[in-house]
Amino acid sequence: MRAFDYAAPSSVDEALRLTKPGSAFLAGGTTLVDLMKLDVLTPDHVIDVNRLPLNGIRLSDGHLRIGALERMSAVAAHPTVMVHFPVISRALLLSASGQLRNMASIGGNLLQRTRCDYFRDVTAPCNKRQPGSGCPAQTGVNRTHAILGSSSSCAATHASDVAVAFVALEAMVVVRGRGGDRIVPLEDFYLLPGNTPQVENQLGPDELIVEVRVPVSPLARQSTYLKIRDRQSYEFALTSVAVALSLRRGVVLDARIAAGGVGTKPWRLRAVEDALKGNPAMEKTFSDAAESAVDGARPLAQNAFKVTLLKRTIVRALIDVAGVR
Amino acid sequence: MRATPIGQPVDRVDGRIKVTGAAVYAADNKPAGLTYGYIVTSTIGRGVITGMDTAAALASPGVLAVYTPFNPLKLFAYVQNQNDESAPPLQDKEVRFHGQTIGFVVAETWEQARDAASLIRTTYQQQPPVTAFPGPPAAMEKADTDAEGPDTVLATGVASVAQAVAAGEVTFTASYSTPVQHHCAMEPHATVATWNGDHLTAYTVTQGAVLSVRRLSETLGVDAAKIHVISPHVGGGFGGKWGNWAQVPLACAAAKALGRPVKAVLTREQVFTLAGHRPLTVQNLKMACTADGKLTAITNDGITSRGFAGSWSESVANWTLTTYASPSIQVTKTIVPLNLGAATVMRAPGEANGSFALESAMDELAERLGLDPLEMRMKNYATFVPNTGKPWSSKHLDECYRRGAEEFGWSKRPKKVRATVDGDWLVGTGMGTATYGASRGLASIKVRLSADGTASVSGTAADLGTGQYTVFAILAADVLGIPVDRVRPELGDSTSPTAANAGGSNSTCTNGPAVQVAAKAVQTELVALAVTNPKSPFHGKDPAEVVYRDGSVSSGGLTMSFGTLLTTCDVGSVEAVGTSPRLVDPEHGFRSFGVHFCEVRVHRWTGEPRVTRWLSVMDAGTIINVKAARSQIQGAVVMGIGQALLEATEVDQGTGRFANGNLASYLVPVHADIPPIDVRFLDHPDPLISGLGAKGIGELGIVGVAGAIGNAVHHATGVRVRELPITLEKLLGS
Ligand SMILES: Cc1cc2nc3c(=O)[nH]c(=O)nc-3n(C[C@H](O)[C@H](O)[C@H](O)COP(=O)(O)OP(=O)(O)OC[C@H]3O[C@@H](n4cnc5c(N)ncnc54)[C@H](O)[C@@H]3O)c2cc1C
Ligand code: SF4
Repeated sequence: MRAFDYAAPSSVDEALRLTKPGSAFLAGGTTLVDLMKLDVLTPDHVIDVNRLPLNGIRLSDGHLRIGALERMSAVAAHPTVMVHFPVISRALLLSASGQLRNMASIGGNLLQRTRCDYFRDVTAPCNKRQPGSGCPAQTGVNRTHAILGSSSSCAATHASDVAVAFVALEAMVVVRGRGGDRIVPLEDFYLLPGNTPQVENQLGPDELIVEVRVPVSPLARQSTYLKIRDRQSYEFALTSVAVALSLRRGVVLDARIAAGGVGTKPWRLRAVEDALKGNPAMEKTFSDAAESAVDGARPLAQNAFKVTLLKRTIVRALIDVAGVR
Repeated sequence: MRATPIGQPVDRVDGRIKVTGAAVYAADNKPAGLTYGYIVTSTIGRGVITGMDTAAALASPGVLAVYTPFNPLKLFAYVQNQNDESAPPLQDKEVRFHGQTIGFVVAETWEQARDAASLIRTTYQQQPPVTAFPGPPAAMEKADTDAEGPDTVLATGVASVAQAVAAGEVTFTASYSTPVQHHCAMEPHATVATWNGDHLTAYTVTQGAVLSVRRLSETLGVDAAKIHVISPHVGGGFGGKWGNWAQVPLACAAAKALGRPVKAVLTREQVFTLAGHRPLTVQNLKMACTADGKLTAITNDGITSRGFAGSWSESVANWTLTTYASPSIQVTKTIVPLNLGAATVMRAPGEANGSFALESAMDELAERLGLDPLEMRMKNYATFVPNTGKPWSSKHLDECYRRGAEEFGWSKRPKKVRATVDGDWLVGTGMGTATYGASRGLASIKVRLSADGTASVSGTAADLGTGQYTVFAILAADVLGIPVDRVRPELGDSTSPTAANAGGSNSTCTNGPAVQVAAKAVQTELVALAVTNPKSPFHGKDPAEVVYRDGSVSSGGLTMSFGTLLTTCDVGSVEAVGTSPRLVDPEHGFRSFGVHFCEVRVHRWTGEPRVTRWLSVMDAGTIINVKAARSQIQGAVVMGIGQALLEATEVDQGTGRFANGNLASYLVPVHADIPPIDVRFLDHPDPLISGLGAKGIGELGIVGVAGAIGNAVHHATGVRVRELPITLEKLLGS
């Protein structure tokens, strides 16, 4: 860790005014401080945003609105979230550990950095950390890496669980800059690595996430999150699937599906959704539909199993949420 | 007579101070004027350091010194092999592995030392590291197996084991491999060194205070009598704190050079590279048996890695020599040196990996013959030590099998694989045999009775969380006839009498008898005081008429507790040192035994294996504290579940770096991965190991665990996995 200066503003405007090259916002710190200890992030100015009025979890204007500073644990346990958006609650509860969820904020969660071990080790090259230095994961240890959306420059996954649920539910982030607010669909907020993997999203250096908005829909009530991993808790996803489904008389009316652990960003699976619609909710439909999930997959030496695993995870999640077999 | 506390479930005597944070661990020590050292590590896997620019580090705030191979602290060559690095740090410029010690920065604060360390610029002449099997053939070393007894036995009339295998009615060949794994003790390696003139006091993590004294004496060139090592509590060792890794000599030598105390604590990432690991292994097994399942020949060619920086490697095939009866057996050992840190002992070194292969193979062979796995083991039950023909000191493994099978419900096990499905889960059961060598070494213990009515029991032994403190308290309380809470065990101080280090599962079988001897001897001292001290009410009596019983001395109707007697005599304490000799019994084989039964579920869609039921039945001689003993077995099973399903240190092949050398990426089991672990002890004393009859339990519990799990996974799915860990991608096809 390097020395830095520290400010704790109490208004959003002040926080935005304090930004400058080399500054970073501090929320729960579970990503930022972790990476500062590893010298991966070396901000000169740390702007603590915890005093900003960015709290609140409420339903209004047909949206669930979650303040960026709400802690993961608070969102997961909120009655509205549990009843209307079970997929969000579940995705959060399957994330990290109790201690981390008590510290970590929703805004920070969406901006957490990849778990690629090369990214986290400053002695290794890494295009994301040091543009142009190379991507050792392409031929190195890559069991946990992405099979979708990757490029020869970077194959790191976006590791957030709840972002997968948000993308499935077509959530938006409210971004505030000196010029005012922008509302960006979360799916578009994240960018593919291409040959600039250091640019992960649309957030400018002098912008804050202030809120996440999730449209209320009947779909969301029948939703779940399935996370597959080696150990039963406290691990990032090898694959994960957020599904929301509406059925009528055993037929799929509508579906929203997104996958985690497999993409360089939370991966919306529209082709799978389309293949489900209008078909009977049964295992055969689900497994046929899941085939298209891996279109364009780019497996690496150690993660080719994710191609099969993703399809199976989708089927399993659909069976769970549809209550059929 | 008071009821003996031996074999009761006794709470740990050190439990309270540990859960309240009052127990002082090495890094908790803060002598006045303390400075902080930070180890600088290499960022290449193999090569030579050509330069280190330390100017910026030296100019950095608070920095007191920067030591490098260009400006080293003098450390003399290591003389004795301690399963750690073969040479002290900073004495040459060669880089043997990624993350090797190449510098040591000492500053007023830890942060200053760390920040300065990051300013050092190092240049190297690099070479490609050798990080995988087979490595260059030239480097392969055919090695001595270090077997107890011969490593080749031949049935009469058989010219070679190869011939015996070829002649088998049924033969079976398979290869099993295991990855690099790490101990992951909770407490990182820490040393705080402080000098008083030419006397050194070192608070350090260690599995034996005398091991640290010996190492420091040879490398510092200081008389061992002037070195005081203090290590009362150790936060887990598992073999990883047997050796004295780089922070130990560096902190001590720097403290001398600077004239101020120095603390050095490895970061978690440094623990991974600098403090040893379980080596990579492969076992190539060939077995032959009769059509009805009697083994006629086994060969096991074991391959193990060794770090270029260390000398230790795993004799992975040796377990095959002593487990099942076979008229011909041969094991070999080949060492492949790699550019990884020094490999070292890790819980059941050899047996944990060795048993994975043999226990899997026994099942594979049983399946081929249509035999039940347990029947297969009983058919090949070793009534005598297979490679020496000697009788066992005691062996009740058959009783373990019987009792375990009954309580687990083994007879209900479907013969076929993939026969049980529960919802979306394929369910299977498996078993594995556990055996681990037992021995009794030389140990001395001091027992001291004090005027306040307490007894202290001291020896250089270590409690790594194992329960050794409580064993001392129980055994002394038993012999002295006083409550356990009146005994104060004192461990981990090098000035105490020399007791067994914590390793090889022989702490209790070695130290236990010595505690008993000392607790007896101190009674004689007390009686002698009673009859000779003029202030004693027993003064002048014939010692033969004065008896010690249940904490009191009595004679002719007068009884006085030792505390009152000492107080009356105005004597602070009496003490005695008891020594229990090394056991020399060339006539017998000594081992602890046991069996594990488990149930594993594998999801039919996504393949993840989950352990859902566990029973271990153990034959480890007398059990001193059934509560702590159960914890030892449970802990070992947890570690074995990690070994079987989760743990693998990935090596980045280009650089030789451990890619997941941190606790976020190196997966050890979490609570959710562990089912209730039911542990039973037969509690039959071993009549030959000591009067106490205790054998070892620290390592026994992990042996056979990975095999049992692999067997259950196969039973559930029909898929046989021969490479650990058994992760879901290996089962997705199922
Ligand atoms: C051991 C471990 C295990 C974990 N396991 C999981 C898991 O299983 N699933 C999962 O989803 N996550 C997991 N996480 C990640 C964890 O959820 C994130 O670290 C956490 O959500 C980040 O939130 P924070 O408030 O602590 O962010 P911080 O660390 O404070 O910030 C993270 C980043 O976001 C920026 N930032 C924070 N808030 C804002 C804002 N409002 N506007 C603009 N920028 C902002 C910061 O500048 C920083 O760059 C794990 C983390 C750890 C350490
Ligand atoms: S995958 Fe991305 S994050 Fe990982 S090493 Fe390559 S560029 Fe860096």
